[in-house]
Amino acid sequence: MASTSSGGIPNQAAGRKLPWSEVIAFVAIAVIVLAGVLAGVLAGASPQGILTNVGFYASIAIIFAVLALGFNLQWGYTGLFNAGIAGFYLIGAYTMAIAITAPSPPIVIGGIPVYPGHLGGYSLPLAVGAILAMLAAGGAAVIIALPALRLRADYLAIATLAFASILQILANNLQSVTGGAIGITGIPKPITFVSANAPFLNAITIVGIGSAILLLFLLLLQFMAESPWGRVLRAVREDEEATMALGKNTFNYKLQAFALGGALMGLAGALFAVTLGYVSPSSSFAPAVTFSVWVMVIVGGSGNNRGVIVGAFLIYGLEWLSVQLKDYVPIALAAGLPTIRLLLIVVGLIAVIAAGVFVLFSRYMPTRGWGRVLRKIQERGWVRNGTIGAFALYGLGWVFVFLEQYKPGAIGDTIFYTRLMFIGVLLIILIIYRPEGILREHKRVLR
Amino acid sequence: MASESILRVNAVDKAFGGIHAVDRCSLTVLPQSITGLIGPNGAGKSTLFNIIAGLYRPDGGEIWFDGTRIDGLPPYEIVHLGLTKTWQIPHELRNLTVLENLVLAAKGNSGERLLNLFFRPRQVKRDEKQWRARAREVLKLTQLDGLANEHARTLSGGQKKLLELSRALMSDPALVLLDEPVAGVNPALTGSLMDLIEKLRQGGRTFFLIEHDMNVVMNRCDWVIVMHQGRRIAEGRPEMVKTDPVVIESYLGG
Repeated sequence: MASTSSGGIPNQAAGRKLPWSEVIAFVAIAVIVLAGVLAGVLAGASPQGILTNVGFYASIAIIFAVLALGFNLQWGYTGLFNAGIAGFYLIGAYTMAIAITAPSPPIVIGGIPVYPGHLGGYSLPLAVGAILAMLAAGGAAVIIALPALRLRADYLAIATLAFASILQILANNLQSVTGGAIGITGIPKPITFVSANAPFLNAITIVGIGSAILLLFLLLLQFMAESPWGRVLRAVREDEEATMALGKNTFNYKLQAFALGGALMGLAGALFAVTLGYVSPSSSFAPAVTFSVWVMVIVGGSGNNRGVIVGAFLIYGLEWLSVQLKDYVPIALAAGLPTIRLLLIVVGLIAVIAAGVFVLFSRYMPTRGWGRVLRKIQERGWVRNGTIGAFALYGLGWVFVFLEQYKPGAIGDTIFYTRLMFIGVLLIILIIYRPEGILREHKRVLR
Repeated sequence: MASESILRVNAVDKAFGGIHAVDRCSLTVLPQSITGLIGPNGAGKSTLFNIIAGLYRPDGGEIWFDGTRIDGLPPYEIVHLGLTKTWQIPHELRNLTVLENLVLAAKGNSGERLLNLFFRPRQVKRDEKQWRARAREVLKLTQLDGLANEHARTLSGGQKKLLELSRALMSDPALVLLDEPVAGVNPALTGSLMDLIEKLRQGGRTFFLIEHDMNVVMNRCDWVIVMHQGRRIAEGRPEMVKTDPVVIESYLGG
């Protein structure tokens, strides 16, 4: 699998090496979660509160993972660039909400309509709602695909982008169906708990159900996409005309992949409705959702189902962590600022001494043993790049310390409002050094 | 004549904007022949192949293949009737392996239908196994068997040409349209490639090929058709075409 990276070493030479990319991915996710937990602990949050937060992270990450699986089937396998992921997601969420909530008539207080009500109130079981959500989103995908898939790739992107925008506007304005700007509230949980621990227990059940669904669809998609059927999808991605000339009705395959991907996005929407307990035409269905899923699939590794799940947990993890840090860091820092300043001074001194020793030592570096390791590090330019990076980080540390001193809360705010910039930088670094994603698409060796 | 031909092109017309690429062109190809199509660059040869294979829609005229009218049919249906084409510029599926490229070109692999995966798993397994075995045989024939599990993008230009031919053979076609099969292929390999085509012809297949290599055209084809400015200007046995003054003027040169 990882063999092609090192300049085309034949496959069998790779043997059973440790799957480094997977290890790195899981460590990165673990570090993100632990950092969030640590921030909570330092700020003195209750264990249950911290666990509920982690549960929230897992449940939203699972939703994004399902979205990413759907987009991976469409784009990673078949090459169909869907720019309206948020639209299919919205259809799923609203279908679920309308199907499973109790009736909620319009509310009028003193002659003023406070809530317009919404369609339905069918109180259907959750599973039925989820299936309806998949059918609705999949059906919408078919309807938009019939004209749009005949267009070239860029036009498909424009058509789906417009579709998602129209849906968001409709959700906002079609008051009698969607509840307008307020949306639909009171969406039932899988299990109703009546205790002080309800939020925590809810988070646990949602994560449990979500993980089971995610695992089920991962296995299902893996089975489908790695079959002869999936091979045709990949062929369409590579060269549609050639695939047609090899006797495949490529339009049918594109339609199937697009519809199934859309249905998965609908399922993600259904999960979202249950997780949050309400839907509204807010930022939850903004184009930014679509862009996030793109990033997750690109970072994780398009064409690799496990990869895009890793991408979802990683990218949403950064988003979640930024919120945790914004909430907890100011509290944690209030007391610890002098300690941190001391720490920065000590680290700075150690770094200067270490750098000096390294520079002196590198002139007399032995060619064997650990000298060789050092030389290799130097040859790869890690020393220069690492030094620049370390200086930047160190400087940033001081900037933050001063900021926090004169304007408490500045660090948390800065982290929160620059989080997208960090994700962007991460994406650029990745595109340069590993354009195929963390878990790359593997070569299918047939026997 | 019409009943015994495997391919009959009748007054086919195709224009791109102001360029009349194929101009009421008519020709026939006899079964079990190796028929060459020659002509200067821009004569409309590749365009005609694309029209026959269903990749372009003709503006007018008829195309008959083995008793069926095929103009206006989509390419994949034409393949299923037994007519396959290869590309002048190889259209290898880059990130699929050579073996995957071949197995994909098989007709009627049941695993390529989604529902069969769930409801006929045994047949899917059997088909896939059978087609992989067939693909290995074809790769031996075209001497690509050593590269079976390499990505198609890693092949050299000549090997990609061989991959084109191998893929075409996977669908068990009655008629193969070869667009410059030996361009960029070394002389020794050209010889063995044409030997292979000759052998397959004796097995009952028909080959219709565009080629600029006059050695191949003169020594290997039984019939040569000459196109110029979208029309058929001459045809006949290779040695007759070679001496035709019209052909010499427009294509072969003095």
